Amino acid sequence: MAAAQLDQTYHYILSTLVARGQAPHFTEIAAKFGIPAEQGRRRLRELMAERLPNWLFPDTDLIASFAPFNNLPTQYRISVDGEQKWFAQCGLESLAMTWLFPGKRVTVSAPCLDCGEPIRVEIVDGEIERAEPGDIHFYVELPIKKWFANLPFA
Amino acid sequence: MNLFRSKEHVKKWSGFKPGTEAGILTLADAMRVMSTPRHRDRLRPDYVSTVQESVPAFVQRLLEVSHDSPHWDLRPD
Repeated sequence: MAAAQLDQTYHYILSTLVARGQAPHFTEIAAKFGIPAEQGRRRLRELMAERLPNWLFPDTDLIASFAPFNNLPTQYRISVDGEQKWFAQCGLESLAMTWLFPGKRVTVSAPCLDCGEPIRVEIVDGEIERAEPGDIHFYVELPIKKWFANLPFA
Repeated sequence: MNLFRSKEHVKKWSGFKPGTEAGILTLADAMRVMSTPRHRDRLRPDYVSTVQESVPAFVQRLLEVSHDSPHWDLRPD
């Protein structure tokens, strides 16, 4: 696929997730670009083969995760100006949500995996304005070079 | 890739692997990691075709935040 088509498809999927909290189906990709459904499916497949932190649900053409979003619920609930309809791919990507909602208050709400007690982070344009509790930490077991070998696990 | 209420909670977590302490970051440092053009520019219309240009700044940020830890080193071996 031409680079411009990869860019357009990526931008459409990400913009759709921003707008409605759910990823488009490949038939919607096809409709968006005025192409047959099978070509829409191929566009999606080719984009997902790029070395980006995005993946399909196994053995399907359904978007499972498209960073920073997850298209399946995770424990990382995202609210924008008080409205909750997004989920983040992981704890790290939850922080990157802020760049998709400029000028808006993005709130990450999640349970601590150790104790189940709540974690809440409020971010506006990349600035952490509030964090509860005040000593939140991030952890990843795998070294970063190994993330792409198994992104859902990482 | 998870958030915890504190560093102590990370180390108490059943999934924590001793010897991987380098994988722990403060919230502020995690935010810095996610604040280079690689993550800021995702809504650019030409993101896919230009994303490789954002790699050096991301690699540099990882090394700064981690104090050159191999855990966060994306440079080729």
